[in-house]
Amino acid sequence: MKTPLFPFKAQIIDIKIETADTKTYTLLSKDAAYTAKPGQFNMVGYPGVGEAPISLSSSVTDGIFQHTIKGVGRVTKFLERFKIGDEIHFRGPYGTHWPLDMQSGNDVLIVAGGVGLAPLRPVIHEIVKMRNFFGKVTVIYGSRSPDNIIFMDEIETWRKDIEVFLTVDEIPLNMKWNYDVGMVTKFIDKSTVNPLNAYAFICGPEIMMLFVSKGLFFRGFLPSRVYVSLERRMKCGIAQCGHCQHGSKFVCKDGPVFAYKEITKLPDGLL
Amino acid sequence: MSGSGMTGENTFQNSDFLIKKDIFFEFIDTLRREYRVFGPVKEKNHYAFREISSASDLYMDYSTTMLSPGKMFIYKPKEDVLRFRIESGISIEEIRYGVEKQIIVGIHPCDIHSILYLDRVFLGDFIDPYYKIRRENTLLIALNCTKVLENCFCSSVGTGPYLKVQSGYDIVLTDLGDEYLVELKSLKASQIFNIKGKEAYPDIFKLKSDKEEALLKSFRKSIDINGLDELFFKNLNHPVWILTADEKCLSCSNCVMVCPTCFCYDIVDEMSINLKEIRRFRQLDACQDFKFAEVHGGNYRQRRASRLRQFVIHNLNYTSQYGLIKTVGCGRCITWCPTKIDLTEMVKEIQRNPLH
Ligand SMILES: Cc1cc2nc3c(=O)[nH]c(=O)nc-3n(C[C@H](O)[C@H](O)[C@H](O)COP(=O)(O)OP(=O)(O)OC[C@H]3O[C@@H](n4cnc5c(N)ncnc54)[C@H](O)[C@@H]3O)c2cc1C
Ligand code: SF4
Repeated sequence: MKTPLFPFKAQIIDIKIETADTKTYTLLSKDAAYTAKPGQFNMVGYPGVGEAPISLSSSVTDGIFQHTIKGVGRVTKFLERFKIGDEIHFRGPYGTHWPLDMQSGNDVLIVAGGVGLAPLRPVIHEIVKMRNFFGKVTVIYGSRSPDNIIFMDEIETWRKDIEVFLTVDEIPLNMKWNYDVGMVTKFIDKSTVNPLNAYAFICGPEIMMLFVSKGLFFRGFLPSRVYVSLERRMKCGIAQCGHCQHGSKFVCKDGPVFAYKEITKLPDGLL
Repeated sequence: MSGSGMTGENTFQNSDFLIKKDIFFEFIDTLRREYRVFGPVKEKNHYAFREISSASDLYMDYSTTMLSPGKMFIYKPKEDVLRFRIESGISIEEIRYGVEKQIIVGIHPCDIHSILYLDRVFLGDFIDPYYKIRRENTLLIALNCTKVLENCFCSSVGTGPYLKVQSGYDIVLTDLGDEYLVELKSLKASQIFNIKGKEAYPDIFKLKSDKEEALLKSFRKSIDINGLDELFFKNLNHPVWILTADEKCLSCSNCVMVCPTCFCYDIVDEMSINLKEIRRFRQLDACQDFKFAEVHGGNYRQRRASRLRQFVIHNLNYTSQYGLIKTVGCGRCITWCPTKIDLTEMVKEIQRNPLH
């Protein structure tokens, strides 16, 4: 029996620069049977450096999938120097996924902040592909400034199928910006989705998810249909190392995607 | 697993004997031919679980050891999990641990329960093969307690001073003076137990429960776990967390290290000088460490009070994780805290003066 900590190898077959500190890596898994659902994550790493939890930012097709990674620490900064053709290791997929219900024609509201759009991108792809199965769909994506936006060129292509609000907290001097300005919460009221019939998926800094959830409840969304993806420190991804414990939950196994009401008011959380 | 209910291996006849102690220790010595044997020994001023070279090394009248046998010989404090080589590409090697049959003798009921708890962590949704192989090849011989120490509160959480659970270990001993009452609790135990002793008769069990009754009266520490889940939930901001943390806690992590059910680990990579060989190992980690819950741009338990609260609530609440309360009432975290923080006292303070 192999340890569940045993990783697979993957080859980097493409790299796209998203922002000054964020890149999207296209990976080819050496494990052909690998699949994952939108919202799940891998432990991505390299020998000698370690591993970090990273969401899939695409679906998996023939062992090919994407990770969109912001360089902030040991592992993620190390990955910045990698080139096409290099190998890394990964294991997964772990955790829960966004509950995309295609049966009942619901509306969907997606709210993302910063690199938090990465785990929601495969959901958006799925919706665009199966557009007729959903009602009204809105994406609200906010970022600190125009140069922190990821998937910029792709976002434009979503607009023909779904309602998109693209907003930044502020515009630096001398920078051109044709979209919105202001916090994501400002756009909750502008979305045309019907709260009583909608699912909401949120990912971003926890404080942002707090304000967005509150805004949604105020507009009539049901706490049982509002989902968030939490970030915690993780070493194992398999509910053993204990770092991600949040109340009695293991964020890696019981999450990272939670219904809001599952994780509200837990100790040391903001929600 | 040896006789564990977890594998459904329960199809043997329970049998119980009265065995003279010296005969029992001879039996342990015969087992040394096939097994490595670990048990409590006396070391200067304290007791510890060590490998023994003769049953005469055993000190069965021991008081709680600093480390529990489960977190020494089944879940190892530090252990290699993978090896890598980097040549033209990455090669990944598993670590294969050989099967070594071992026996741990003289485990107090609380420490048996702590192993049953670790089973949930390492043999649950994700199976840890290193834990599993040792668990399956370890015979657990429990020993009901003969004395209650200052910090014991097992009777409050149902894990002692006598073992009540009927499976998940192999043998349980009760000290009856010159003899042990030997109760076989697994198929494996009934296969290896080859001494002819008196069969235990009903009066013996009366004697056993009388002894247990007497022992139950000598507990000085207790905790009322009724309604704790809800109480904690309503008292997350109780002053006891902040006061204890500010005035006493050193964040030294002793409490976590000696806790027989604290399972958290860190994973560390270590690279050879030529940068080609990498050893990946795991080692015990502690929620009291400042970095434990740190992420980019924040730390979910930056305050010492949050970390202390995490330790206490994880031990006494969070039964929803595995359906079991985590604490086994061994009292080690109290004994080894350099500033004598006592979780049972913290709980009593909240119960006496709740916020709501
Ligand atoms: C489920 C999940 C999904 C995720 N998905 C993504 C994703 O798709 N894309 C993405 O970019 N990120 C994602 N993250 C976040 C990512 O895992 C973290 O940013 C992770 O910390 C990166 O690991 P690292 O080794 O690079 O950083 P670490 O080295 O762990 O550093 C993280 C932070 O910890 C602090 N730190 C660490 N070590 C030290 C030290 N020695 N001294 C001082 N401070 C220190 C620093 O503040 C640093 O910013 C996800 C996280 C989770 C839980
Ligand atoms: S042993 Fe005592 S001082 Fe040390 S971290 Fe635990 S509670 Fe704090």
